[in-house]
Amino acid sequence: MINMKKCNYVVGVLGIVIAGMIMQAAAAFPMEFTTNGPGPGFWPFALGGALFICAAILLGYTVINGTELASQEVKLTGPANKRVYQMMGIVVCFTILISLIGFYAAAIVTIPAVMYLVDYREKKGIALTTMGTVVFIYLVFGMLLKTQLPKPFFM
Amino acid sequence: MTDVLSALAMVLVPVNILGLIGGVLVGIAFGCMPGLSVNMGLALLFPLAFTFKGIGGILMLLGIYCGAIYGGSISAILLKTPGTPASVATTLDGYPMATKMHQPGRALGLSTMASTFGGVFSTICLILLAPQLAKIALQFSKPEYFALAIFGLSIITSVSSGSVVKGIMGGLFGLFLATVGIDDMSGAVRFTLDTTYFIGGVSFIPVLIGVFAFAQVLASVEDYYHKDRLETKMSIDRVLPSLVDLKRVFTTLLRSSFIGTFIGCVPGTGGDIASFVSYDQAKRWSKHRDNFGNGEPEGICASEAGNNAVSGGAFIPVLTLGIPGDGATAIMMGALMVQGLQPGPLLFVEKAPDVYAIFIGLLLANLVMGLMGFSLIRFFVKVVSVPMHILLPIIMMMTFVGTYSYNNSVNDVYLMVFSGFCGYFLNKLGFSMSAVIIGIILGGMAEQNFVGSLIMSDGAFSVFYTRPLCLFFLAAAALSLLSPLFGKLFKK
Repeated sequence: MINMKKCNYVVGVLGIVIAGMIMQAAAAFPMEFTTNGPGPGFWPFALGGALFICAAILLGYTVINGTELASQEVKLTGPANKRVYQMMGIVVCFTILISLIGFYAAAIVTIPAVMYLVDYREKKGIALTTMGTVVFIYLVFGMLLKTQLPKPFFM
Repeated sequence: MTDVLSALAMVLVPVNILGLIGGVLVGIAFGCMPGLSVNMGLALLFPLAFTFKGIGGILMLLGIYCGAIYGGSISAILLKTPGTPASVATTLDGYPMATKMHQPGRALGLSTMASTFGGVFSTICLILLAPQLAKIALQFSKPEYFALAIFGLSIITSVSSGSVVKGIMGGLFGLFLATVGIDDMSGAVRFTLDTTYFIGGVSFIPVLIGVFAFAQVLASVEDYYHKDRLETKMSIDRVLPSLVDLKRVFTTLLRSSFIGTFIGCVPGTGGDIASFVSYDQAKRWSKHRDNFGNGEPEGICASEAGNNAVSGGAFIPVLTLGIPGDGATAIMMGALMVQGLQPGPLLFVEKAPDVYAIFIGLLLANLVMGLMGFSLIRFFVKVVSVPMHILLPIIMMMTFVGTYSYNNSVNDVYLMVFSGFCGYFLNKLGFSMSAVIIGIILGGMAEQNFVGSLIMSDGAFSVFYTRPLCLFFLAAAALSLLSPLFGKLFKK
């Protein structure tokens, strides 16, 4: 079981790493106070510092309240989560397909996939929802608002 | 008077009125469907708002904002499943009235009337109070604006439902994202990862749609793993409230509207707090307090008038000081900024007709919401039962189309998807997405005025504690940040 204690440790360490990266990146810019105020690196460096402190506080808080946090489950690996990860996979494929075969064709492939994923098997319902959505987007965005949605790479 | 007439001319354009009506319709639909939120509706239709010329898009978003708060009560009454957190208190008496007393129409009619009353009441308060507050705010200089930005950021502790530290971390990350791109003060190009895409800064709209709408789609996939359909089989009898009911609830309506408006003015609060406080006060003062929880009309009206009155109240700090009170007003503030309307006291001087147009729009949105509530209630009851397997792919497609159509950029789509994935996991880990968005919105204001203040004072930090108003806001920010700590101490 993944619990909030473990998650907080990961978040705390990641927070410190990100804070360090922000401070390092900010240090590449001038930070001195001149007549034009502090340099462009000062504010982001300060933000990085504040993030570092917060991440350290989170780690400290987690150490102190470890028992209580260990009882809080974070659902990341259950069957419902697996479905979300499959959905993420479909979304990534859809994002790639948009550039390859264009938005409308990609949508015609993706909408049934999403409906299938959420356990809907009625072919008529899938077809109606797919066509209805694509036609609606074409009429409202394509025709009415003149939005040029991505076309296939060969067009 | 000229400004008011100009505002009327801006609002009373057929396209704008249609946009507002459409916004209310969409808002109610989003509000009444459990799993969809006010923020999601606003984020999803945010890009569409810019296809309107002038104030039309803002009016549409105002319609969504008002409609969604009200819409939450429909599913709260019929299904005991509040569409929005602000309608949780409505279930306490709305559901018993609809089921035990077999009067769903009466419950929906009372909630519609109370929502409209609360919304109109708070808009009138906004119209009366906002210009006065803006006159005071006109005295502000850079240190005061910096302090205000910090005060605005301090509400992160209130919008963070889980861990306060994580809320602050999210806010800091949002502030950092606001530094990406060309620095307005020095002209330096910062943190762009050597791409031209980030030179203008992190695009706000893809992040907004990603963390609010797309992340919610992913969360809905998880939520509806076990239940994919919410059934409602109620027949609606009458919708208009009777004179007896009106007489019984009038005092409650006034009290709750006042409470909701006041709570709305305080950044970091929201409709959920307003509805519970209003409900509690209604019960305390009612002659029928024993009937609360069993279908008491005052209970429904208190909750609904309270949460809808937040809408006008929440716009007072947004328009006069440029401080968003919650995620929804942060999105509204972003929309105003994208339309070239920088919220703050100067807005009342430089763009007075636009401000009055917003006032009129909010008033109209509440009235349209009431009319739609009474006339289309049977339609909305059907909307409540739309299955998720149909809604999910449609909303997913809309997040993509909405993001792409804003800039015609596939990179924006990538950013939206990335933000959505991050948003899903960060929500799981107890982070508040509203905190990140508030950080992005107030980041520029905070940094520019911080640097500007130090230029004013030749680098002396004393400028922040020697000016009374600046000190006041910084002290208020410190109190706000430490309030969760005080809360724990009091509990002990």
